[in-house]
Amino acid sequence: MPEYKLYYFAFRGLAEVSRQVFALAGVEYENVGLTKEEWVEFKKKTPFGRIPVLEVDGKLIAQSLTIARYIASQHGLAGKTPLEAAWADSIADEWRDFHGNFKKYWYLKIGVRQGDIEGTRVEYGIPARDKFFPLIVKQLKETGTGFLVGDSVTWVDVLIANTVDEVEENEPGLLQDYPEASFVVQHKQRVHAIPALKKWIETRPQ
Amino acid sequence: MPEYKLVYFAFRGLGEVPRQLFSLAGVKFENVRIEDADWDAGKRPETPFGQMPVLFVDGKPIPQSFAINRYIANQYGFAGKTPFEAALVDAFADQFKVDFNTEFKKYWYVKQGDEPGDVEEMKAKHGIPARDSFFPLVVKQLKKSGSGFIVGDAVTWVDVLVANATDYITVLEKDLLNDYPEILAHKEKIHSLPGLKEWLKIRE
Repeated sequence: MPEYKLYYFAFRGLAEVSRQVFALAGVEYENVGLTKEEWVEFKKKTPFGRIPVLEVDGKLIAQSLTIARYIASQHGLAGKTPLEAAWADSIADEWRDFHGNFKKYWYLKIGVRQGDIEGTRVEYGIPARDKFFPLIVKQLKETGTGFLVGDSVTWVDVLIANTVDEVEENEPGLLQDYPEASFVVQHKQRVHAIPALKKWIETRPQ
Repeated sequence: MPEYKLVYFAFRGLGEVPRQLFSLAGVKFENVRIEDADWDAGKRPETPFGQMPVLFVDGKPIPQSFAINRYIANQYGFAGKTPFEAALVDAFADQFKVDFNTEFKKYWYVKQGDEPGDVEEMKAKHGIPARDSFFPLVVKQLKKSGSGFIVGDAVTWVDVLVANATDYITVLEKDLLNDYPEILAHKEKIHSLPGLKEWLKIRE
C-alpha cells in the first residue's frame, strides 16, 4: 500500500471530496492541514502553486478532481467498467462547469469574497443550479439504483453529495427549489449514510 | 471493435482533440458535424446534457470533452503507462482547462471576434497572464520528462490537448508563444506523429 499524504488548508474546501473518498475506501492517509505560513513555504514545492496536492510515495499529484479520481480508481470507487468510469468523469466535468458559474455567487455568500450577493445570486447562482441539478435528477432516474453511475457508489456521488451538503449548511432551501429536488436531497442522505462516510462526517474537524 | 460516433459542431473547437486521438490510434469513427444554423434552429441530436461533443460507443453516449478524451486515451494507450502517470496527465489537463483556459479565453474569444471587447486590453489583462502562468509549467515538465512528451516517454492525450492549443493560438497570433520555443517544438513533434500527421492534412 502506498503512503498517502493529502495537503490542504485545515478547512473542507477542495480537499473534502478526496478525504471522503479515502474514508469510503477505508484507506489510511496523512491529512495535512496547512496554516497560512506553512502554505507560503509549501507552495514552492507544489507542481502548480496550488493545493490540494496528494503525495503518493513521495511523488506529487495536483488538481482536486484528479486527486479524487486517482484515489477512487485505485480503490474500486470509479465505476465498474471503462464506460462507467467515463460517465463518472462526464458528471464530474459537468459539475465543474456548474461550479465555475455557481461560485461567482457562492463564494460571496459564504464570505470567501466580497460583492453583490443578491445580484450574483440571480445572475449566476440560480441559473447554474437550474441548469445542473435537473441533470442529476435525470441521471438518478436513469440508473434507478440510487447512485449516479452503475449500481454502487462512485467518487462522483461523493462530489455531488458534498456540494449539496455545503449548500444546505449555508443556504437551506436553495436546493429544494426546483422540480424533483427530493431526488437530489435523498441522494445526499443516502451517500452520507454509508457507514464509512457517516463516521468521517461525524468525526471530521469542524 | 466498438462503433464510434462523435457528434459535434462542424468546426474544430472541443471536437478536435477527440478526432485527433482517434486518428493517432488509427481507429475509425463516424465524424458527425452539426451546422451552427441547424443547432441554433433547434435541430439538435439527443444529448445527455444538452451539449456537444458527445461520443457514442455502440450507441451509448458519453458527454463532456475531457471524459471523451480520457476514454479514448484509456482504450488505445494514450493515458500514461501507470495510474500515477494517468493522474499526472489528468492534472495537466485540469490545469489547462480550469486555470489556463478560463482566463485565456476571455482574451481569445475577443481576439477571434466571437465576443465584443478591446483586444489589446483583454490581452494585457487576461491573455498574457494566463499564458505566463501555464506554459512555464509545461516547459518545466517537458524538461523533467526529457522525452519530448509531457508525461512519461510516450504520447498522451494531454500532449494532443496542449499541441492543439499551441496550434490554434499560433495560427491566429503567430508570435504569442515566441517566448516558449519548447512549446512550439512540442507542437511540431506531436503534429508529426503518424496518424495525426495525416489527419491534419485532411481536416476541415
